[in-house]
Amino acid sequence: MMGILMKSKIKVLFFYLISCSLNLLKIVFLTLQNEIAETMKILIIEDEKELSKSIVEYLSGENYLCETAWTFQDAMGKIQSYEYDCIVLDITLPDGNGLRILEELKKENKQDGVIIISAKNSLEDKIAGLQIGADDYLTKPFHLAELSARIFSIIRRKQFENSNVIQQNEIKIDLVSKAVFINETEIFLTKKEFDLLTYFIGNKNKVISKSNLAEHLSGDFADMLDNHDFVYAHVKNLKKKLNEAGCEPYLKTVYGTGYKWEND
Amino acid sequence: MKPLLSKTTKPFIIYVLIVLTISIPVYYLVVDTIWRTQLDEHNEIVVEEVSYRFNQAKMSEEELQKALNLWSKIQPEANIKPTDKSDLLKDSLYTTTKNAPYLEEVEDRFRVFSTIIYLNEKPYRINVETNIEESHSTVISIAITTFFLFVILVIGLLILNKRLSEIIWKSFKNNLEKLKAFNLNHQTAINFEQTDINEFNELNQSLSKLIDHNISAFKTQKEFTENASHELQTPLAILKNKLDILLQSEDLTEKQYHIAEEMNRALMRSARINKNLLFLAKIENSQFEHSENFCLDILLEQTIDGFQDYFKDKGIVLYTDIQPEIEIKGNKSLAESLISNLLINAIRHTLPRKNITINLSKSSLEITNSGEKSLNTNLLFKRFSRSSADNTGSGLGLAIVHEICKSQNWNVHYHFENQMHIFSVKF
Repeated sequence: MMGILMKSKIKVLFFYLISCSLNLLKIVFLTLQNEIAETMKILIIEDEKELSKSIVEYLSGENYLCETAWTFQDAMGKIQSYEYDCIVLDITLPDGNGLRILEELKKENKQDGVIIISAKNSLEDKIAGLQIGADDYLTKPFHLAELSARIFSIIRRKQFENSNVIQQNEIKIDLVSKAVFINETEIFLTKKEFDLLTYFIGNKNKVISKSNLAEHLSGDFADMLDNHDFVYAHVKNLKKKLNEAGCEPYLKTVYGTGYKWEND
Repeated sequence: MKPLLSKTTKPFIIYVLIVLTISIPVYYLVVDTIWRTQLDEHNEIVVEEVSYRFNQAKMSEEELQKALNLWSKIQPEANIKPTDKSDLLKDSLYTTTKNAPYLEEVEDRFRVFSTIIYLNEKPYRINVETNIEESHSTVISIAITTFFLFVILVIGLLILNKRLSEIIWKSFKNNLEKLKAFNLNHQTAINFEQTDINEFNELNQSLSKLIDHNISAFKTQKEFTENASHELQTPLAILKNKLDILLQSEDLTEKQYHIAEEMNRALMRSARINKNLLFLAKIENSQFEHSENFCLDILLEQTIDGFQDYFKDKGIVLYTDIQPEIEIKGNKSLAESLISNLLINAIRHTLPRKNITINLSKSSLEITNSGEKSLNTNLLFKRFSRSSADNTGSGLGLAIVHEICKSQNWNVHYHFENQMHIFSVKF
């Protein structure tokens, strides 16, 4: 009898030691990664757990360190204790209005970028949010690629302030003048091609479907139509222009109709 | 349809007319009877008085005969004669007509009382006659009087009715105007005018109750649509995001990718229906009250520009005739939605490589696309009433167009002409 009890105690102790050392390793690894690739900290304030989980899963691959808050109280605690590069904020929380979190941030003069996600496609909410100081407003349901691209551009804007330039290997994109250079030679893209390029770069190594791109390219009302063949034409033109300027073929076609920007 | 007043007045007047007409013979009979009994009574008194006076005089037989002779000559309305042997000594009462001895052509009616009086112990027959009015002149006088009464009654009735109805129906008419102006969309209950008439008060109370109930039901229904749409956004968002994550799986096969993509398209459709339902609910809830002056031509060009890819995709040839500097007043985002929905409708239902024409003039916007047969105009602007085999739309586009026009006091019209569907909006 005593023998069995001792055995189980040893087992528990053993597991505890392993988990502790794993945690330690994780911390060391994360710190290292932080130093190597400039990990961005993102706070996701969203009460819908499944949604929050999906956002974390999608963003985690792209040098983002995600934290989540499910309640108003939790979110308030976190924004007061830490600094984030970007906050994804659902304004309809069960225990408070998300706009108050935004007000609190601005009151404390925090520089965190904020993107509001809301189930309400209400102009008043949008105007109110942007007036208080949100950087962007996204209505549910949205594609994670859309969110990712917007977070990417908000972080760029915050980091580089006015000289808003993305440098990806041989590609240089000036977000303010909307100019694109390959090896310092300018290439001329249409508005939609430029849009596509920044969207792909904001979603590196992700598979993006044709319908997703169509939704991104269409305006508020055009996504009411089902014909998405035009996406192919725009992507083809973009690829051609990049190719001709001597850019590496980062943009790949996958599964026949999907696309992926492969770049490490 | 007649006003209430004439409905009540007419039968009333007819009733009065009937009663008064019947009253003429009735009056005649009554007057005649009274007349006759009075005359009979009078005649009897005359007879009694004559016999009494003769007997009081205590005349001799000779004097009596003389007096009687004189009497018969002078007295026009009573004659006294000795009785015949054949006389049964009975009283009688009758009416007779005769000519006055000096006026030959006029016949007069007389009431006669014939009886026996005893003078100096001898029986004499006495006939007392009194002139009685002729029946036809009685009837005429009564008829004339009655007619005058009838005219006075009718005039009085009309004037009274008019005056009374003005007072009685005043609050009713005011309330009716309020009811006519009532709009369920504005969600404001009616304050009915107070009245001291029971029936109207009851009516007002019932109406108030009905309206309150309607308003609350309408509100619940609208809130329901809005809430349901909001609630749907989150599960739709979860599904969409899970699909995005699924696409990132390393071991996804091409077949699975295409299934995921088809799911995504179906999801887009549900999101689209949801978005449109929410939009409709918002228009109905008057959440687009803001009104401004804006250039419709610029807005139209911009909106068309947003659809260029879709025109190109389907090989649709677009003809435009847009007048410059057309300024209208209204809600700009609703106008944009209106144009977009009409364009989406045109693009969706135009066959590849056919034409769409867009005309904008000072007062109207016309979007024309080629088609095969006329659409059912009764169902066209109804929600979810699809009129073509293509069911990829939300089924709400034209309902939104209709609702926007209603809220902005614009006018949308559809007609089919020369194998063309023409939608025109008048501002």
